[in-house]
Amino acid sequence: MSLLDWIVLAVTLTFIVGYGIYRSRREQNLESYLTGGHTLPWWQVCLSVMATQASAVTFLSGPGQAYTDGMRFVQFYFGLPLAMVVISVTFIPIFHRLNVYTAYEYLETRFDLRTRTLTAILFLVPRWLSTGISIYAPSIILSTIFGWDIVWTNIAMGGILLIYTVIGGSQAVSYTHVQQMFIVLGGMFLAGCLVVRLLPEHMGLVETLEVAGKMNKLQTINWEFDLNDRYNVWSGLIGGFFLQLSYFGTDQSQVGRYLGGESISQSRLGLLMNGIVKIPMQFLILLVGALVFVFYQFHQAPLVFNETALSKIENMADYQDLQRKNTQIFTEKKQAVTQLQQALEQKNEVRINTLQRRVLDLNQQSTGLREKTQQLVKEKGGDANDTNYIFLTFVVKYLPEGVVGLLIAIIFIASMGSIASAINSLTSSFVVDIYRRMWVTQASESHYVNVSKISTAVWGMLSIAVAMYASRVGSLLEAVNILGSLFYGTVLGVFVVAFYFKQIGAKATFWAALVAETGVVICWLLNLTAFLWLNVIGCVAVVTVGLLLETIRGRNRVVEEDL
Amino acid sequence: MKEEEKEGLPPFVRSWRQLYGLVIANLILMILLFWWFTEAFS
Repeated sequence: MSLLDWIVLAVTLTFIVGYGIYRSRREQNLESYLTGGHTLPWWQVCLSVMATQASAVTFLSGPGQAYTDGMRFVQFYFGLPLAMVVISVTFIPIFHRLNVYTAYEYLETRFDLRTRTLTAILFLVPRWLSTGISIYAPSIILSTIFGWDIVWTNIAMGGILLIYTVIGGSQAVSYTHVQQMFIVLGGMFLAGCLVVRLLPEHMGLVETLEVAGKMNKLQTINWEFDLNDRYNVWSGLIGGFFLQLSYFGTDQSQVGRYLGGESISQSRLGLLMNGIVKIPMQFLILLVGALVFVFYQFHQAPLVFNETALSKIENMADYQDLQRKNTQIFTEKKQAVTQLQQALEQKNEVRINTLQRRVLDLNQQSTGLREKTQQLVKEKGGDANDTNYIFLTFVVKYLPEGVVGLLIAIIFIASMGSIASAINSLTSSFVVDIYRRMWVTQASESHYVNVSKISTAVWGMLSIAVAMYASRVGSLLEAVNILGSLFYGTVLGVFVVAFYFKQIGAKATFWAALVAETGVVICWLLNLTAFLWLNVIGCVAVVTVGLLLETIRGRNRVVEEDL
Repeated sequence: MKEEEKEGLPPFVRSWRQLYGLVIANLILMILLFWWFTEAFS
């Protein structure tokens, strides 16, 4: 990185931290520290929930995913707007009226302390682990590309945000989210524009999209229903709905964001606006990846984007042979893509079809070489999955000075936004659902605020500790989603029973949750279905087993009364 | 009591129900646009 990049990075991060501290200078009580004191207008709620969901992994993996797999990942978010509506109708009014700090508090009023504690633990453990992954994921990529020490990168990634999160609590987190989202979205837009500018002169945006489309990178919609296909309209609408409903409805990192809204209307409006803008935003992030793919039709891409992994095999004769073939295929493909673009311009259908077949064939050969190289990397014990390195490699190699620093800052900022929310939510749940409810029940307000500050620092350090021990997690974006899907369905099931099945009691719900969670883990271990469906299975299992247990209990009660 | 009377009116539209409808209509529009996008560029 150049000096200018370092300056841009330092200035951006200092601005965010300074702003967070500045906004949190007022005296605090537990409510303002954990929920922000219900002061946020809708647009701030909207940006805060978006910044919480969009981690660094979103901006690293997203374009990489489009580069390798096309745009179909956007279907993953189709259930989100539906979930926003359901949460606005049911969850928000109840949480606001009961004036709860955490979502799990409500479960004690509906069921009992045991169910509240179980769901709080089902939230705390996976959220802590996934926060560790969220720190590790961008750190390992930055440390690989820039040769930075992973320990210090993890500490910087998880530590900088702790300054304002410990001092300012929820309010500082929400206020910095606004600045973070503006910088992140502005930076990604700039990156997209620069990709198009770096293409050959005859390639404008439309021409680039036409070429990407002919190379099957813009297939966004797949109507085919297939339980084992990760991304299609149905898995997105149904599985995605359950995942997003449990994430936004029961995960404290999100509940804490919209509970900060100044009224039911403001919280609701913030979530509904998120339901409108989230899908287009994700689409544009993926589109950057598709544009980068076209860029690499004119500039030779490495066989593997992870240079550390590549260094393990670069002296092997097999790799050098693959590299030779790759250069030859690249030259032929570049020529064919240029001809295809000319045919598209002339609207010569016959020639377009012939050249499309040729380009696709060459691309398949190129993908085959990539897979063989990845196999070599795997055999040498390296990380063969390079999806997360694609976009950043492009940024570092081809974008101008200053912009590189800005995009690295974006990775830090995006990471800080989601991790700060996660750590704030871990603190809220730990202090409110466990510490204040079970350990120290009668203490002063300032005692709980101080405990919350210590808890924030400890959760931050524990998450950094997970990041230190996290290693190969495949696609980082998917790893986080899979971890969530393992627990979210069950927790959602408990809330669905609480809201809609008044006849199911506390005992039946508690045991149903345990049975459902066991079932979900078994389904995942046996690889029975794509991960999005685990959310549906967990939720439906809690409701079904709960109803069954309640029926059995009811019958036993009748028999006892008869006797 | 109606939702609007308890929680206030949403901006731009006359009721919360209309706003929910707008969010769902936007989702349908997005899916149709992406479908068109898939067909147009493949």
